[in-house]
Amino acid sequence: MSKSAKKEMIKVVNVHKYFGELEVLKGIDFSVEENEVVCVLGASGSGKSTLLRCLNHLERITSGEVYIDGEIADKRKDNQDLIHIKQEHAQELCMELGMVFQRFNLFPHLTALENVMKAPMLVKKMSQQEAKADALKLLDAVGLGDKANEYPSRLSGGQQQRVAIARALAMKPKIMLFDEPTSALDPELVGEVLEVMKNLAKDGMTMIVVTHEVGFAREVGDRVVFMDAGVICEEGPPSEVIDNPQEERTKAFFSKIL
Amino acid sequence: MLNPVQIEAIIKGTGYTIIIALVAVLIGIVFGMLVAIGRISKNKLMNRLTWIYVWFFRGTPLLLQLFMIFYAMPLIMKDVFGRPFPMNPLMACFIAFSLNSTAYLAEFFRAGIESIDKGQMEAAKALGMSYNQAMFQIIIPQSFKRLLPSVGNEFIMLIKDTSLASTVAISDLLRTTKTMSSSSGKWIYYVYAAVIYLVLTSIIQLGFEKIEKKVGVYE
Repeated sequence: MSKSAKKEMIKVVNVHKYFGELEVLKGIDFSVEENEVVCVLGASGSGKSTLLRCLNHLERITSGEVYIDGEIADKRKDNQDLIHIKQEHAQELCMELGMVFQRFNLFPHLTALENVMKAPMLVKKMSQQEAKADALKLLDAVGLGDKANEYPSRLSGGQQQRVAIARALAMKPKIMLFDEPTSALDPELVGEVLEVMKNLAKDGMTMIVVTHEVGFAREVGDRVVFMDAGVICEEGPPSEVIDNPQEERTKAFFSKIL
Repeated sequence: MLNPVQIEAIIKGTGYTIIIALVAVLIGIVFGMLVAIGRISKNKLMNRLTWIYVWFFRGTPLLLQLFMIFYAMPLIMKDVFGRPFPMNPLMACFIAFSLNSTAYLAEFFRAGIESIDKGQMEAAKALGMSYNQAMFQIIIPQSFKRLLPSVGNEFIMLIKDTSLASTVAISDLLRTTKTMSSSSGKWIYYVYAAVIYLVLTSIIQLGFEKIEKKVGVYE
């Protein structure tokens, strides 16, 4: 890496994760630079989602180190913390990461607008007017300004996912994590969500996208990471990893899905 | 038919039945929620204490609990503090029925809260909310609709169980009508009692069905 390299927003060092006896991540080293869009591809069960969930503490790593925006967020060995990070500080670091889930996970008892306003008001103690103005802007940006007062059950999957993106953006994260954001959508609704994500990438958002959308990875991804059985098998520009893979496992994967 | 004195007695008996059940269900809702949160919490002590609470009050007869509050508690207090400790029968009923309904409602609430999709807590945490914020602002409000039927059910059970209050000398609805029947030799008073219980439980059932529809507007 050259000296003029951009800031590292995420850095993961030798991360292992066990679920009981099962080793899901087997020593992952991985980093993401500012403004970079990294697409993580791989078969289900390869550890992609777990890697993402370890970044914002939805899962705790078994061992290894995680840095967010240059600061250490986690350092563990054998499920024990090696450094003590204050609860509030850990929470602050995690708040630099916005997350979008496969199943949207919108709050069903709140309208689209309230979904977006809730966390800024609760966590950042933002005033209601301010949160509302922000939320309306965000909903407009994802093309749902007219759906602000609808409950999630009244929205299509694609609309729900766009609200979920707006909700994550409302906390003004520096990095957005997407965990298979289009996998639960009907095929005709995938495009509208990818469009919103493309716009985000264009605006310079740092993004990690776990996805099966090879087209999106090729078009928007600055880098593609291919995972298999808990390790990063191959990584590089989409043109290389997707269209000209070197590793046998990568070749096998893309020959099946392309 | 009923004479004015009897009518007054039946109204009074019905009043006891309603007030005991109402106090127990209201206190049960508040404390049942707290006990449920304790049962779910990761705090080992809270977890253990609330488990023991539910274990005891669900595992022993309500009648025994009532006797313990009304008969045993004053004796225990006297042994401990050395002076008489009077216990009012109605107060004993309020305490015993509330303790009991708290235990039942706590278990219903726990199940209701745990039935909310895990993704909700994850989404809340990913947005930076603390456990308590997520619990009280996101998870528990969603569980309300699922909890309502169990609250209605408990309320109906309580209305019927208030007949146990007669054992501590409260002239509740059933005791009042039973007295009338045995003193007059007529069975019709039991029909009056049945009709009044049914009217009360029907009002509760229909009321809760209405509330359920209102609470579920977002679905």
